[in-house]
Amino acid sequence: MNTDARIEVLARMTPAFAPWLGEVTVENLRELLQAELGDARALDDFQPRGPRHFSKAVAPRTILHIVSGNTPHAGLQSLFRGLLLGSHNWVKLPTGGLPEIAAFRDALPAELAARVELAETLPEEWLGRAEAVIVFGADATIEEFRRRTQAGQIFVAHGHRVSFGVVCDADAEAARAAARDASLFDQRGCQSPHLFYVQGGAARVLGWAAALAREMEIFNQTQPRAKLAPADAARIYTLREEWRFRATGAAGEAAVWTSAGSTDWTVIGDVRDSAFVASPADRVVFVKPLPEPLAALPAALGPARRHLGAVGFWPATVAHGRELAALDLPAARLCPIGRMQTPPLTWHQDGLPPLGALVRWVDLETL
Amino acid sequence: MDAETRCYAELEARVADRLAATAADWSEAEFSALAREVFAFQRPHNAPYARYCESTGVGLEIGDWREIPAMPQAAFKLCALRAGFDAAGTARTFRTSGTTGEGFGQHHFKTLRLYEAAILGGWRHFSLPIDRPQLLLAPHPDDAPHSSLAHMLGTLARVAPAGEQHWCVSADGKLEVEWVLALAGRYREAGRPVLLLGTALAFLHLCEALEKRGTPVTFPTGTEAMETGGYKGSGRTLTKRELYARFERWLGLPAEAIFNEYGMTELSSQWYARGLAQPHAGPPWTRALVIDPETGREAAAGAVGVLRLFDLANLGSVLALGTQDLAEAHGDGTFTLLGRDPQALPRGCSRAADELLAATAATSPT
Repeated sequence: MNTDARIEVLARMTPAFAPWLGEVTVENLRELLQAELGDARALDDFQPRGPRHFSKAVAPRTILHIVSGNTPHAGLQSLFRGLLLGSHNWVKLPTGGLPEIAAFRDALPAELAARVELAETLPEEWLGRAEAVIVFGADATIEEFRRRTQAGQIFVAHGHRVSFGVVCDADAEAARAAARDASLFDQRGCQSPHLFYVQGGAARVLGWAAALAREMEIFNQTQPRAKLAPADAARIYTLREEWRFRATGAAGEAAVWTSAGSTDWTVIGDVRDSAFVASPADRVVFVKPLPEPLAALPAALGPARRHLGAVGFWPATVAHGRELAALDLPAARLCPIGRMQTPPLTWHQDGLPPLGALVRWVDLETL
Repeated sequence: MDAETRCYAELEARVADRLAATAADWSEAEFSALAREVFAFQRPHNAPYARYCESTGVGLEIGDWREIPAMPQAAFKLCALRAGFDAAGTARTFRTSGTTGEGFGQHHFKTLRLYEAAILGGWRHFSLPIDRPQLLLAPHPDDAPHSSLAHMLGTLARVAPAGEQHWCVSADGKLEVEWVLALAGRYREAGRPVLLLGTALAFLHLCEALEKRGTPVTFPTGTEAMETGGYKGSGRTLTKRELYARFERWLGLPAEAIFNEYGMTELSSQWYARGLAQPHAGPPWTRALVIDPETGREAAAGAVGVLRLFDLANLGSVLALGTQDLAEAHGDGTFTLLGRDPQALPRGCSRAADELLAATAATSPT
């Protein structure tokens, strides 16, 4: 099966998996290959690279994907890319599995399905035989696999990330878009915002937080959050109680909005400082004032600065995005609020070329 | 003596009197009445608590102890909680371990009268083996003046037969294994059962030291042990079943000879559970509710929720505390303790962010 045939198959069967893979068409898959490899046919044959110089991309024959976490995004996208490259894919799933990945494999035509093997316990031979190892997980997990891979194996690591948004026009549309980003996939992804920084005074910040709370409720009515295990619900309950107490000592400076009779969503507004706060996820989001001047933002992020995923911005203008990019934050992605959860197929996850990082090149030169 | 101090002293005397009473002398109505009285004292005399109560919408008049707003445990890290006394009137302050990354909590005491009465009363209530030689696997209270656990053990040690309270951890925190073995031999020869008291981590270290030697220790028949706390800051995790298996293998103590103490710096009384199957229960001046975190209401029997504790001996701060621990409700006031995060769920990449940031904060210069 050549690249074109794989593109046809993958584009045909992926609409059902659009929530995790985004919009996939024959055209944008070709564009992805073109962008990553310079030519959509680079995996099939030598393509001109310079005078009397041709190059061919060689995909790993076998890729081991170490998938962790509760969201299927990372694993599905990684597997999808492996199939696009034509590799054989071994997927180590987290304990308990990820049904979406199994469903994706089952939906593949036999020829591609045969290139996917899933396991919750890692067979040792997979690690030894994989030409490329892709690891998603905590630092300790990544280090463990880095140690166990051999010289010559391609190793790609995707560590944990935290994301946030910057709101300069604190309007209703921004609140609606932010609620979507903070709610989709129950805020469990690397691109999920933990916090929104809002430009303006205390009243504006808390006013927008109230608007965000209303939008969180509206979103929850149409797309309810998953039921939580008691330990996860307890984390939210405890955090809410703590912030309710904090708010009592800071009248007009902190406030908590919560879903009624459930832990479905929580918005915590705090204008006392701009220090980054991590959310326990599951639709708990903080709202704080954007530091003034903007150049103070990197310092406000504190340790989170070293683990940034995406930075959302509103208004969604190129100028605003450039203004944030000029801060030189080590985030791999700047995108409009409302789109944080739907990175394009061509995005550089963690700043790496998604296909380019996996292939090696063979050059053919002639006289 | 000003009115506030007089009020505190009178209430303290009355609570102390009730702590000396037997379980048969306590009725639900009496507990509720005294709880309302303590609440009525604490709310106006403890400003942060008063503000919190206002935010919950609960007024001064309540019908039942269950309606008393439970102060979030984190509040002890965020402000000073004193009811009926000020900083100058503080006799003692205990500190939490501060392992969660946001500094330590502080519990201030005007006097330790109720605190110590609750410790001893609890042991009396549960007929725990207090009046025998004690081997304490913990630092001496003089070496840990801010540790409520050390003070509790010191209070218990005072009740041991004279000269038979043996502190087995040095001032620099080293477990004196040779000393433990020597004491075991001494009391074995005398045929006198002892009481071992310590943190789960200290017992684990003792078992591991014995395992390294390859020889278990034999304590006199009838010896019992009280273990408490978890493995905070040690990076160790062990289930209760695993720990008790080590007790049996290396200390020769069956699960029935071990009881767990559940207490916290923010409270004055303790809850106990013997062996592996028994749930935790508190003395008659305490109550425990398991709260459904989704609804904030009391969880049904058999359900898992957040533990809310009521302790009449906690007169100088707040009598109702919202803990961060999970427990299974039994519907009769007892509970099976599950701890902070018993399920160790697999987490999405965002889910581990708090741990990730906490770890980074500890090492980052920024």
